[in-house]
Amino acid sequence: MSASLPHRSVANIRAPTAPSSRSGGGGGSSHRERESSSHRDRDRDRDRGERGDRDRGDRDHSGTSTPTRPIPTFNTPSSLRAEEELIVIDFGTRKVQVGFAGDSAPRGVVWFGPEQQRRIGDFRDWQTDYQQDWRSKAAGGNWGREYELWRPDVRGLELGQVGDKVEKAVREAYTKYMLVDSRPRRMVCVVPTGLPIPLLSAALDSLFHRFQPPTVSLLSSPVAVTVAAGVRSALVVDLGWNETIVTSVYEYREVATRRTVRGGKKLTEETHRFLAKELGHVQQDNKDDRQEYVLSFEECHDIANRLVWCKPFKADKTPKSSSPPQPASPEGEGLATVEESDEDEPTTTTTTTAAVGEKPLPPPPPKTTTIPLRSGRSPASLELTFDQLSQPCENTFFDSQYSLSSFDDHETPVHLLVYRTLLQLPLDVRALCMSRIIFTGGCTTVLGLRKRIFDEVSHIVQERGWDPVYGKAKEQLRMNSKLKKRNGRLTTGITNNNTSNSPEAGGVSPPTTTTSGTSASGEGPPTPAPAPSGGGQGQEEDGIWHDAANSLPEIDPIEAQLARTNPSSSSRKPLHGQLRAIESLGPWAGGSLITHLKVPSVSTIDKDQWTQHGVTGATVRQADVEAKTQQRLSWNAMNRGGREGKEPWTLGVWGAA
Amino acid sequence: MFGNNRLPAFHPGLTQSRIRDTTTGNRLWFPGVRSPPSESSPSDSDPPNDQLPLPITPEDLYDTPMAPFNPYTYIRCPCSELNPYAKRTPDVTAQGLSRAAQDDDDHTFDPRAARSNYSLYPLEYLSFCEDCHQIRCPRCVAEEIVCYYCPNCLFEVPSSNIRSEGNRCTRSCFQCPICIGPLAVNHVETPPDPNQLLSPDHAASSHSGSYLLSCSYCNWSSTEIGIKFDKPNSIHMQLAKLRNGGETRLTAKERKERRKEQGGGGGGSNNGQGEEDLDTLLDMETQFANLKSFYQNQLSDANGTGKAGGDASAALGNLGFDAPASLSRIMSLYTGSSSLHDKKSKSRPGTMREALAPSEGLQLASLDETSAITALQDFESTTGLDAYSSTASTTQLQSQTPYLGASPLHGLTRFTSSLRPIPYLLRTKRSKRCPQCRHIISKPESKVTTTRFRIRLIAGNYIPTITIKQLIIPGLTPPPMPNLPPDTIAPLQPAQFVLTFKNPIFESVRVTLATPATTPGRFPSKVTILCPQFEIDSNTDVWEEALKDNNTSSASTSTSQQNLSSSTGPEGGPGRKRAGTLRPGTAGGASLAGEELGPEVGKVWEKGRNWTSIVIEVIPASLVQTAKRDGKGPIKEDEDVLEIPMFVRIEWEAEAPEDEIMPGLSGAKGGNKDGGKEKRELAYWCVLGLGGLRGRCKRGFVCGRS
Repeated sequence: MSASLPHRSVANIRAPTAPSSRSGGGGGSSHRERESSSHRDRDRDRDRGERGDRDRGDRDHSGTSTPTRPIPTFNTPSSLRAEEELIVIDFGTRKVQVGFAGDSAPRGVVWFGPEQQRRIGDFRDWQTDYQQDWRSKAAGGNWGREYELWRPDVRGLELGQVGDKVEKAVREAYTKYMLVDSRPRRMVCVVPTGLPIPLLSAALDSLFHRFQPPTVSLLSSPVAVTVAAGVRSALVVDLGWNETIVTSVYEYREVATRRTVRGGKKLTEETHRFLAKELGHVQQDNKDDRQEYVLSFEECHDIANRLVWCKPFKADKTPKSSSPPQPASPEGEGLATVEESDEDEPTTTTTTTAAVGEKPLPPPPPKTTTIPLRSGRSPASLELTFDQLSQPCENTFFDSQYSLSSFDDHETPVHLLVYRTLLQLPLDVRALCMSRIIFTGGCTTVLGLRKRIFDEVSHIVQERGWDPVYGKAKEQLRMNSKLKKRNGRLTTGITNNNTSNSPEAGGVSPPTTTTSGTSASGEGPPTPAPAPSGGGQGQEEDGIWHDAANSLPEIDPIEAQLARTNPSSSSRKPLHGQLRAIESLGPWAGGSLITHLKVPSVSTIDKDQWTQHGVTGATVRQADVEAKTQQRLSWNAMNRGGREGKEPWTLGVWGAA
Repeated sequence: MFGNNRLPAFHPGLTQSRIRDTTTGNRLWFPGVRSPPSESSPSDSDPPNDQLPLPITPEDLYDTPMAPFNPYTYIRCPCSELNPYAKRTPDVTAQGLSRAAQDDDDHTFDPRAARSNYSLYPLEYLSFCEDCHQIRCPRCVAEEIVCYYCPNCLFEVPSSNIRSEGNRCTRSCFQCPICIGPLAVNHVETPPDPNQLLSPDHAASSHSGSYLLSCSYCNWSSTEIGIKFDKPNSIHMQLAKLRNGGETRLTAKERKERRKEQGGGGGGSNNGQGEEDLDTLLDMETQFANLKSFYQNQLSDANGTGKAGGDASAALGNLGFDAPASLSRIMSLYTGSSSLHDKKSKSRPGTMREALAPSEGLQLASLDETSAITALQDFESTTGLDAYSSTASTTQLQSQTPYLGASPLHGLTRFTSSLRPIPYLLRTKRSKRCPQCRHIISKPESKVTTTRFRIRLIAGNYIPTITIKQLIIPGLTPPPMPNLPPDTIAPLQPAQFVLTFKNPIFESVRVTLATPATTPGRFPSKVTILCPQFEIDSNTDVWEEALKDNNTSSASTSTSQQNLSSSTGPEGGPGRKRAGTLRPGTAGGASLAGEELGPEVGKVWEKGRNWTSIVIEVIPASLVQTAKRDGKGPIKEDEDVLEIPMFVRIEWEAEAPEDEIMPGLSGAKGGNKDGGKEKRELAYWCVLGLGGLRGRCKRGFVCGRS
């Protein structure tokens, strides 16, 4: 508020003139606002003191329905407001995206790299004969470190340097891409949820110190991604740099997060390992820190970006527990096995006619490419087949040569991670999330990776259902004729996109099944008719069994209200219970949307408060966080409590120091 | 400390000439070429600057490195010490951070520390605030934009366009996506088609698509991505409508118009069906626009219909409350306080559904990327080119602008065929202000094509410049080790360097130097400043100096001059001669005494009109031995350069400020009259890069790896 004192006078001028027009009550909302501004002043004053009372009174007053208030449309153009440029910054490990709120894409992307960390006036990069001495920098596990802004392990990390990097990147974005002066502007930072507090604090210190924004709001990137996809709930699979993080967002709230180290960094390292092996260097796998690097990070990263691809899904059953060899049930299981047997034997070309587009053609002459490598001790070029080039991706994200039970918690393969995240979700949340899977993050560029993860997940779901128990005993139980029927139906419920690709699978599947997400989006809920009774049975028999796809939907208050308020849209039920992937515009665009729509953030940090207290000033009280969350979830533009100095503020999901 | 003091303001003419002086002459990077004590013309009074490069012979005064190591000086802006949060951060991040404890104010500055690179600047990059008497670096100035322009066509862009049209040139300026060279619009020479020649109707169509963008450096042309243009001008607009391959697309504006038409026809239903089949595969721009309008509709719907459709009593009852809400909205509208901390009382659950159709911004992911995979794999067989070279490199991708016309999946550009010409980023001319006193530090002319500055207070006009030379006196300096590359400082042997401080201001300046006894960091070298305190004479005018010279001491020194030159040979003779000439009684005499033994402790090496040289002695650490002993792995890049942190404190007496009377330009005038003096001081760290500790090969690799 302090920033805009001059405008206050404008308001003072306008306010008294407004109430003169007292025409019919209907009108546009803007019209109505002016009418009674005289007693609004009084109300506002009173409002300060007795907010609590009024809240209660309001609720009583409105009775059954929620109190409504005419919020004028948000697209009313106001020249005064348009002047204020909100800056949205999306912090990633490798890059920072900066732009104005309301834009569809960031104005500039700044990547971190060694040349950015040079002194100003050091132009050795431009010398024709300069070659970076990456070898000495890579010593001690620092290979590729300087391409990162931070790392999740803050031990031994110089936080001041993180701040410096943030400052330099944002300054570069300001001067090079945003073309703005250094007037203080409000900032909105889109930050991954799992960011350690010291890093967040260092970044905020730097922003507040160098750019003097009046406020900095924090948005969580999974939620931003969800918003940028147009949905309220989603399963965000962030194939990021340090980690792959699977976050389940339900009604704009993060309800579950799981992470694995299988991310872009590992992919680059695997690429290096692969190339080094091809070059004839023997690597000792057990000592990762002391690993000798024969190629520069830049080159490996480049190759990983350019040529590494991901093989399509093949349902080989060797490492996993064997699925039933014969079609177990006529309706449902058959569908899955038809597809599996299709891809089971890729060498026999006769059976592959159905799924032609799905897989690489069986290689009579393996297709190769030549990769020039320049950063080694001596330049070399490698002739590699594309089959080989899919190895790094395979090892990074799936490691399918190992059994699924052999992984530690921090290195779960991505598809398993997605499955487990879905599995641990409550029934309703899962039903919504599984049909809103969003892939985001840098590794989505790996060709075929998203599809592969998606197929792997749907394969696990087909194999196991939503049952945390699996294994031989489970299989035996499943062979039990009594349960067979339900299992079959379950798998049809979660039939995914790729069934639609094979024509005969579509023929086999029962008519109730929605085969493709595209067609289903407009239709009614895919709940088959026999669902309620069957689902009920399943839940009776074993306590843990949750049939996400077919259970009776509980009455969702929000849906109910939507149906009431907007009858036109009530015909379209949100799709659930079906695996489906949707596209998002990414965290930055989400942050831009949220900010543009003037949705307040849970965590808005005032400059003065930060200067006084730093992170320690953030409130820890869960109640406050909850209250803020509540306010935000309501998507109400006006719900910000007065931000006086005493007002507790919070870092929201980022916790407190 | 000296907040309100002012330097005497200079006549504009003088400032100008000084700027020119510094920019031409004062290069820190040319040690071999410009040696302060050059014997060419004894009457020359400003040797470090105004000398032309002399032909250098091996027997020249000082060692001139053959290999390209140039000694350098970096100055650390004091602003990096002023972080208000610096103190607090260690508390917060507390445990496990071993380094936090060391982060005291008192510890010497380590130029090799991770953070130092961010606060060090060459003198040329620094400004100086005359009112705060403080160095200002690019990090600690407030900037204002004077104008926006395209660096290619040099057209000025009005600031209103920046917000609406983006930060790139919207005319015809493009960079090559392959090599970032500038692209030129060229005419396509097509062989005349007889059919079209015959029929005049088709003449127009043959005309269309007859221009292309081509790179004269790498021969890339826009036909490689299947794009041709109808007109040779406003390429940007044409390109926005074209996808790679020549397919047209609707721009956002057209889409909006079309939507409007449909909205008008279809009764305003926002999920009109006709629109959906326009494009089921949304591009990013459209998806964003759809999402935005969807959310806006939802928000207004939720509120609007809630009132209308809800039960009447509630709506009526709420009327009283509506008032303050909308008032506060108006208030907030005009007070400009945005949503981020809008003050309004009550949250009510506005409900909104999720997007369900592409028209609302929902985009189903088509995960099937097999076409791209097969394209990648079959590239060689179809085109005969290598698949590797068909893909775009990381740097090429990073310099691409986000192409909003692509759908998210296709936005993940991979092949060089999907790269697009890069419109030039606009640039700005900026004026700079001191963030504390708001005085202008630098202000360029607003016209794009002029490079002149109206105001420019560069630090080189206010603080002494430092030039570094290695001192080699035959007989005294040990001969270079035979196995070392020429530009190397031999380890564990004392080496001497001459630091020449040149005073740019009109007052004589007292300099105090300090340096840690051993350089911080992994390879501690011993450093001794032989003369840590000295004075530099004022930068008086040249002719004044010449007059003074004639009057006072030319006769008396001529004899000693001859003595000197005969005794010391060519090395350093003239320089010291001058020192003796100018100040016979002071430092010059001292250096005379010690002249035969080389540099002497506590004595100035030599002295000129506005410059003073001192000697610094270094015993470099042995890189190889240390690296072997401490086991911290190989020597990193730049660790083999001998860098010395040095704390420089300069004091001078300036005319007393008369800010109270007239804060403007009249300082110089008034100061001359009343003559009141006032002490000023300035202190900062700087880093001297003296030389390489081991040689560098041509390719930038560091030799001598152990």
